[in-house]
Amino acid sequence: MESLYLLIPIALVFCVIVIRLLIWAIDSGQYEDLDKEASRILMDEEHNSNREEHDDRGAR
Amino acid sequence: MTGVQPCFHCGEPVPPGSHFAVDIDGISQPMCCPGCRAVASLIADSGMGSFYRQRTAYSEKPANDTPLATPDEYLLYDDPTLRAQYCRRESAASEHASLLLGGVTCAACTWLIEQTLLRETGVQDAQVNLQQQRLSVRYDPQQLQPSRVFALLESLGYSARPFQASAQREQLEQEYRTDLRRVAVAGIGMMQVGMFGIALHAGDLQGIATEHQTLLRTVSLLVASFVVGYSAKPFFVTAWRHLRQGALVMDLPVALAIGLAFIASVWATVTGSGEVYFDSVVMFTFFLLLGRFFEKRVRRRHAIACRDAESHLPLAVLVQQPDGHWRRQSRRQVQPGDTVRVRAGEVIAVDGTVATGSSAVREDTFNGEHVPRAVAPGDAVFAGTLNLEGSIDLYVDQLYENSRLAALQNSVDRAQRAKPALARMADRLSAWFVGAILVITALTGLVWSQIAPDQVLWICLAVLVVSCPCALALATPAALTAAASALRAQGVIVHGENAIEALAHAQRVVFDKTGTLTQGKLRLETVSACGEVNDAFLTELATALQQHSNHPIAHAFTGTAITGISEPRYITGAGIEASWNGQRYRMGSERFCRELAPTLPSAPNNELYWVALCSSDQPLAWFGLSDPLRPEAAEVVAAARSAGMSLALLTGDSSSAGARLGRELGFDFVGTGLSPEDKMQQVRAWQEAGEVVMAVGDGLNDAPLLGLANASFAVASATDLARAQADFVVDDDNLNAVIRSLAKARQCVGIIRQNFVWALSYNGLGIPLAALGYIPPWAAALGMSFSSLIVVMNSLRLNRAQR
Repeated sequence: MESLYLLIPIALVFCVIVIRLLIWAIDSGQYEDLDKEASRILMDEEHNSNREEHDDRGAR
Repeated sequence: MTGVQPCFHCGEPVPPGSHFAVDIDGISQPMCCPGCRAVASLIADSGMGSFYRQRTAYSEKPANDTPLATPDEYLLYDDPTLRAQYCRRESAASEHASLLLGGVTCAACTWLIEQTLLRETGVQDAQVNLQQQRLSVRYDPQQLQPSRVFALLESLGYSARPFQASAQREQLEQEYRTDLRRVAVAGIGMMQVGMFGIALHAGDLQGIATEHQTLLRTVSLLVASFVVGYSAKPFFVTAWRHLRQGALVMDLPVALAIGLAFIASVWATVTGSGEVYFDSVVMFTFFLLLGRFFEKRVRRRHAIACRDAESHLPLAVLVQQPDGHWRRQSRRQVQPGDTVRVRAGEVIAVDGTVATGSSAVREDTFNGEHVPRAVAPGDAVFAGTLNLEGSIDLYVDQLYENSRLAALQNSVDRAQRAKPALARMADRLSAWFVGAILVITALTGLVWSQIAPDQVLWICLAVLVVSCPCALALATPAALTAAASALRAQGVIVHGENAIEALAHAQRVVFDKTGTLTQGKLRLETVSACGEVNDAFLTELATALQQHSNHPIAHAFTGTAITGISEPRYITGAGIEASWNGQRYRMGSERFCRELAPTLPSAPNNELYWVALCSSDQPLAWFGLSDPLRPEAAEVVAAARSAGMSLALLTGDSSSAGARLGRELGFDFVGTGLSPEDKMQQVRAWQEAGEVVMAVGDGLNDAPLLGLANASFAVASATDLARAQADFVVDDDNLNAVIRSLAKARQCVGIIRQNFVWALSYNGLGIPLAALGYIPPWAAALGMSFSSLIVVMNSLRLNRAQR
């Protein structure tokens, strides 16, 4: 059972990483429009390259 | 709508006899009007036909009674001062613009807009935010001007205007992100603490070494304190803010429960005794936050879509310069005393006096009526009304700030502030609930300090934890959210969930007439021939004449028309004159026709809107037009009556039609010829007499009324301002939705009551047992989750379809 002393802190570290990631995603605007993203997969993307190029700048 | 073909683009019925069609993906599809045809063929020709396969709602009908803006109007958007408000220069080759869109109905619209813009040279990126109806577009200003973006959007059938960030909007945006972060932290925290919680519960059952228990408790404490300190903060803040003002709200027992259970658990962890409740604390926080987040999200969409009255006015007006030339200027630069020109079909931008020209203006902004008022030099006209017939020049009297339209906007704002808040059932209950809990805990403590002083702390805590008002706190929001989503599935969008409670208690319903109870467009009711000529021929002749008119009554003549009309001439404010088979014919006002045929008798009565027809030697007929009732109106009014409500009809129309309608449908109160302020005053009088008032309306002039009423509905065709003020927006054009909502709201309040009864009886049973020391902590925690679960399940019954 001694492994608990190692595994629980590791779990906590993961927890912190996940929270940080999520907060980063929220702050970069990825959760601004929950309605559109749901149907995005149905749409034909004709400008794939164009979009990806600008997506990172599109945030904020 | 059986038997009538819907327009493939906008879904409105295709008028019989019209032949607009567009080939989309090889199939010829019917269109209702040239506007829809233009938009649909543009979409099909640019290879975006799959838009029609992907969309989940009909598109909005392009505005075809106001002609598409001329290209030079768009150029105004390139004006540097205006541009500075919505465009941001990022580098020499890149500029970013934010636009607010109108008519975006589903995700396919966002796809269509993005793809169309991305094909345009110079556009680097285009993103539509469906929820906020906003477009951000990045382009190269050397290759493309913003006016081109506006023109493109308009040609697709969407309206656009510059998006101006306001402090309020920015705050909403910030709040949304903060709320989302709180929910996220609570959710992840819940998983972590839950994991440790399972280990601890298992340990309780099969034994656990003290050191391991201490370890698990300590890490739980670590995570839970972060969740309580960060995510649950708003509960503490609200409870404290209200407490200082002496008000007890639902957040207080919530804050007490979270705070006390947390402190008790910390105490247990530090002293190594008792029981920890970290998992319950965190789970409770997460579910409450999640519920509030969803509720807020609905309200946020509404706040962002809201538009004010000023946005109805055109951006630019034609102003006469000192040298006599006409130049297009921004509306805000116009000064009182200037002369401006308003062409037919344009919205009048200022309050002014007609200097030259004559026309008819449709003033539905102020009276809700679609029949226009004829104006001639010397008459006053108002900003926000529509100039229908001829070009007129106006002397500017007032700027926007002092205009009648601004006064309307002010009463809307006033109405919002004056809206009486009905005390929510939960807040009323929580006041005595908190008091009772505190008294019982104090008594328990007192008694046990006599019996067993060493147990006082744990027994008092057990009482507080058992009384944790999770179920009580969830009772209302769970039911309201379920009712709102059930209504949404039935085509009613709920903006203010609190209004559901108000709706269930409504005692009086106020209807607007034109456009709400009636269809809002004129229809030919009767032909009263003056001679021997048969009605069918007269109607065909009238239809042929009306094809040359842009007066609203022309829409009432849609059947077949005779051919061979020549020399049609439209005389503003009077009627039409034309030749047919060598005869002169006139159709229009009484005076206009008497000039040609002096023997014309006067109109049969004044309950309909009458138009005369005559030839050069004899009067031919009177055509009686009226605005027909919606087919379901009588049924809806009767249903409201049998639901025990008083009925009132408040209309801006001053003709006798309102009184007649009120009599026919059996209204208890009819007010005609009322201004928006009069309507507000009447509703306020009823509210002051203690009545709960619900209102149904559609026009700009109803907006203050909708804002003030305890619960209000805007019907589908309503103006943006009315939609923004209403608590419920009916999506399909059918008044029956009002009655369905009423039934759902009453059912919802019933469910809330059941939830309260359950939650209170659970507490009523649990607290005495805990006070007697019979409840082991694990049972308290289990009971807490169980009672909340029952409340949620009970609320979900609202989602079941009702027959």
